Amino acid sequence: MKRSGVIWSWFWMILGILYFFLPLVATFLFSLRAKLGVLSFLAYTQLFHDSNFIKDFSFSVLWGLLTIIVGIVIFVPTAFWVRLKVPQVRTAVEFVTLLPFVIPAIVFVFGLVRTFSHPPFLIVNSPALLIAGYIVLSMPYMYRSIDTGLRSIDVRTLTEAGQSLGAGWGTILFRIILPNIRVAILSGAFLSFAIVMGEYILAQYLAKPAFAPFLAYLIQEKAYEPAAATIISFALTWACMGIIQLVGRGGPQAQLAGGH
Amino acid sequence: MTHLTLSNLSKQFSGNTVVQDFNLDVKKGEFVSFLGPSGCGKTTTLRMIAGFEVPTSGKVTLDDVDITDRAPNQRNVGMVFQAYALFPNMTVAQNIGFGLRIRRESGAAIKERVAEMLSIIHLEQKGNSYPYQLSGGQQQRVALARALANRPQVLLLDEPLSALDAKIRVQLRAEIRAIQRKLNTTAIYVTHDQEEALSISDRIVVMYEGRIEQIGTPFEIYNFPQTAFVASFVGTLNTTSAEVVDPAQKLLQIDGVQLQTAEDLANMHKGDKITIAIRPERFNFAAVEKKANILDCQIENITFLGSVVRIQVAVGSNRFYMDTFNNPFLELPKIGAQDQVTCSREAVLVLKS
Repeated sequence: MKRSGVIWSWFWMILGILYFFLPLVATFLFSLRAKLGVLSFLAYTQLFHDSNFIKDFSFSVLWGLLTIIVGIVIFVPTAFWVRLKVPQVRTAVEFVTLLPFVIPAIVFVFGLVRTFSHPPFLIVNSPALLIAGYIVLSMPYMYRSIDTGLRSIDVRTLTEAGQSLGAGWGTILFRIILPNIRVAILSGAFLSFAIVMGEYILAQYLAKPAFAPFLAYLIQEKAYEPAAATIISFALTWACMGIIQLVGRGGPQAQLAGGH
Repeated sequence: MTHLTLSNLSKQFSGNTVVQDFNLDVKKGEFVSFLGPSGCGKTTTLRMIAGFEVPTSGKVTLDDVDITDRAPNQRNVGMVFQAYALFPNMTVAQNIGFGLRIRRESGAAIKERVAEMLSIIHLEQKGNSYPYQLSGGQQQRVALARALANRPQVLLLDEPLSALDAKIRVQLRAEIRAIQRKLNTTAIYVTHDQEEALSISDRIVVMYEGRIEQIGTPFEIYNFPQTAFVASFVGTLNTTSAEVVDPAQKLLQIDGVQLQTAEDLANMHKGDKITIAIRPERFNFAAVEKKANILDCQIENITFLGSVVRIQVAVGSNRFYMDTFNNPFLELPKIGAQDQVTCSREAVLVLKS
């Protein structure tokens, strides 16, 4: 590569890093200025002593975990079955999974409220509706991650090999398919988790305790704590991404179709 | 005694018949190959035995038990796939023991059986390796061991050597046959490679367009093909149309040249048009040895194939191949020279239309 090319590469890289990290560093530094004249973690301490923060943050973590579990239970068998038995409907299913990108969240929430606030579906106050909503919002990430994972293995042959050895559908799914798309599921799971942690509209309009509405409230009421909460939220997301990297590194599943 | 029976098996996909009226009896411990070109229905038939395809009509019987409607995991049929299909998340030992764990056999029994299978495939040191750490040949041996570990009533092999290079293919097919003989397992082997089928099988089922063309031992299939397709598909064969001159004398005529066959022409009449076939190795030069049929010819081409020299001769308007074993002192004719070739009555095969 020419010298000028190298210089430009570095230029764009440094520009990118500054663009992404400068606001974050500024937010972090700002979060340390709660005590006048010195840098301290006072905003973080106060945040962790705020019972509403603990409660709303815990709820969001709980909603996030439930969304992941229910999402896996719904999407793994669906993607598996579509790939194995009805590949002709894959395009239609992919279109459906992309709908949350097209339909604004606010429209979606009002749709939920209208539909589920009258008998026989009077569940508007149930956390189940919130989780169902989160599952729909995270569907593009979860389903497509799983589908990408399934694409990297020979689903049909592995399934038939399992069947010929006496395995039923449950065994095939949990002992053959799932372990081989583990990284894809984790990617989808953590993306879903990040969606839930940052999602504001659903929780706000369904009047459920969650981290994003708490953050919005905090921004209106306090100065330094919102910055601290933002940094905590980022740290959590990065931790999740780090776990994906750790789990996805090497391992027997890294090869899948090759080896000959 | 018949072990596996396929009765009137047919399969249609969207109105398109891919297997038609397939009938076969397989004895215990027999090695039967389904041989045919792509799309002839051999894999579909195998998949119907495995339970992966449901027959449109007909029956699959295993040890007198009708298994046609049984799920694949209820059949006790082992399968080896072209793409190995080893479970990437499991070690070699775990792969081999998978079926035994499904059957809830004891840990000790699984360990013993896995060790036995590893020993049979000569991969004792690879038990803790993952599939991606093995070569293609080793992976396929593990796949074979995994399929056999369950002691299946029938072992199905769907073009298991197609993904391997030629040298390993030859070596592994001998290993497969040796293991199958050792364990006395009934095996059905799908291949489009005639050499593979001829070398490995007790019997071959030659298929074409969903139908059985011929069932026979490799010797019968090669030496006595019954149809034009079998004749053309298995080995190199000279085929040409001929006219019956005298059914009683078994006398035929091609391009005005008379030939005698050993086959029964009792049902034919003078003037009937038939197709005859002669293997290239059944021809000799008449100068060396004279047989029942002697044909005037012109040498058109000579091709050196290593152990064999293939000579193309023109007999009238027909082009025939003649194969002769190579030796360093072989005196070959000149291209363009006039000569005579000869073959026995038995060499002239009459094919069914």
